[in-house]
Amino acid sequence: MPARNHAQWTAKPPLANDEWIDSRIYSDQEIFEQENERIFKKVWVPVCHESELSKPYDFRTMSIANEPIIVCRGPDNQVRAFLNVCPHRGMLIERRPSGSFLEGQPSGNPKRITCMFHAWQFDMKGNCVYVAREKEGYQDRLCKEEVGLRRLRCEVKFGGFVWVTLDDNPAVSLEDWAGKAFTCLQKSLDAEPLEVFHYHKAIINTNYKLWHDTNSEFYHDFMHYHNRVTGFNDAYFARKNEAFEHGHVVVGTFEVNYQNYEGFESRAALSFPHLPPNQWYMIDMFPGYNFNLRGSALRCDIVTPLGPDKVMIEFRGLGLKRDTPEERQTRINHHNSIWGPFGRNLHEDLIGVAGQGTTMRPGTESRRILHGRQENQTIHDENGMRHYYDEWGRWMNIMPNNPDQTWSERSTASAAVAAAE
Amino acid sequence: MATNGVDVAGAVRDTIYRAAIHLDAQKWDDWLELCDEKFHYAIKAFSPEINYDMIYLQGTRKEMQTLIKLLPKHNTDHSPLTRHTTVYTVDVAPDGKSAKAVSSFVIYQNMLDGTNSHIDAGESRLFLVGKYIDTLEVSDGKARFVDREVRLENRRLDKGSHWPL
Ligand code: FES
Ligand SMILES: [Fe+2]
Repeated sequence: MPARNHAQWTAKPPLANDEWIDSRIYSDQEIFEQENERIFKKVWVPVCHESELSKPYDFRTMSIANEPIIVCRGPDNQVRAFLNVCPHRGMLIERRPSGSFLEGQPSGNPKRITCMFHAWQFDMKGNCVYVAREKEGYQDRLCKEEVGLRRLRCEVKFGGFVWVTLDDNPAVSLEDWAGKAFTCLQKSLDAEPLEVFHYHKAIINTNYKLWHDTNSEFYHDFMHYHNRVTGFNDAYFARKNEAFEHGHVVVGTFEVNYQNYEGFESRAALSFPHLPPNQWYMIDMFPGYNFNLRGSALRCDIVTPLGPDKVMIEFRGLGLKRDTPEERQTRINHHNSIWGPFGRNLHEDLIGVAGQGTTMRPGTESRRILHGRQENQTIHDENGMRHYYDEWGRWMNIMPNNPDQTWSERSTASAAVAAAE
Repeated sequence: MATNGVDVAGAVRDTIYRAAIHLDAQKWDDWLELCDEKFHYAIKAFSPEINYDMIYLQGTRKEMQTLIKLLPKHNTDHSPLTRHTTVYTVDVAPDGKSAKAVSSFVIYQNMLDGTNSHIDAGESRLFLVGKYIDTLEVSDGKARFVDREVRLENRRLDKGSHWPL
């Protein structure tokens, strides 16, 4: 078809209802705010890894849907999560990204979570244990027993990740939420303790879903020279994208030929437990978390949406806790040569979504985004994204290809293909 | 400090500053010419988030050469990087044959094609802050790198880069 006029450009594509979406779901401020309320305040979020708070009284801070969170390890070794918000006058209680409460702070004692502002103190279970001049100010009207922290549901699971939800009554347990999608890697991730060796973050002017889309579709391997030379073969094209309940997708494995990229080596010697050599599994968790195991190194991406056109992505790399220094070095090289901030692939992926962010800024005309590749659910089939937007539409009660309409089950692409045949 | 009439510290500074100019100009081979066969390169940063001293990229001279050779195969943000480098200290070994140097740097990114070029191209943004921790060997009055540690303060790296820093 030659270049199109406006009517042609904005017309419905000749694809089934679930094979394309409207770009307004990537650029609309109201939809973004609804996503925080309807999705991110409800789902289980992997906020960090337990090795980041390995000793009693260690803590990490983060946020979900604008709500500041603190995760800490108690003297009983239990990892607990609380809102990082002081019940007195709303100060952010802990300002550091990480640390240990074993040391005292200018306003407070060792082994306490202390708000620096007026020195209220809390223990590792979130009990308020000290209110400065309590009786003098509150007499018998309010006591420390009534001003504990807001506790959050928190579990350490699936390779030692710390999962938190802001919802006190989540629709499903974490096991039911993620268990089936993790089955392919459960033995490898749970055989022994893991440890984080890599962390960096990117803040990109693009919608968080576009990052998840990139993690869910492998058609873009055409953009990665590395993946073309180490991947494109029959086994690669036979890889399956498998859809799981709750919007998750698993990209099945094949054997990567790393040595086909000059200077790279096989990863067979350092495979994760129970993983055959040089295999590559990927788990894409709704609404934006990714677990990616390339033989010897595990990567995890966590998105924090900051606006319709702004996302923070935190990148982690993990190996086995018992690695020797030499093994760890090799794992780090395997991870970072592709996935590090100065690696070969990550830079390309991020340029890709930044470019999409440029064309889909708030105020741009709505665009048709095609998710219509049908290849028997193999690697370049776009069924992963279709599955995701079914889930997204249900949570949001919005039609992905017409955000003005409420959700109704989308016609399935396979039916459309059958009808066309 | 002069050893047998040679200003070793001056030669070290000269090599570090020449490296900065070659890297700014993306003349990677000229940069590698300043690096000995034994050369090892690493970009490192400490993360308080995970309490871990990280290596973001590392390689031997040969590995850096391969990385450079394959750059045209990759899709890259071509926004030029410009360093401001200041050599803070040069400690010359007693025999005058090697030296350690610490330099401070900031790297600006002059936007070209990485984001929305119509709006952003031509703008300079602060990209990276850190130190070069270099070991050099000196012979015939010339200093060559045998080790370079690029010690970054940044952990927010946005799109990152394909290029040596
Ligand atoms: S705001 Fe925290 S003690 Fe007052
Ligand atoms: Fe990619």
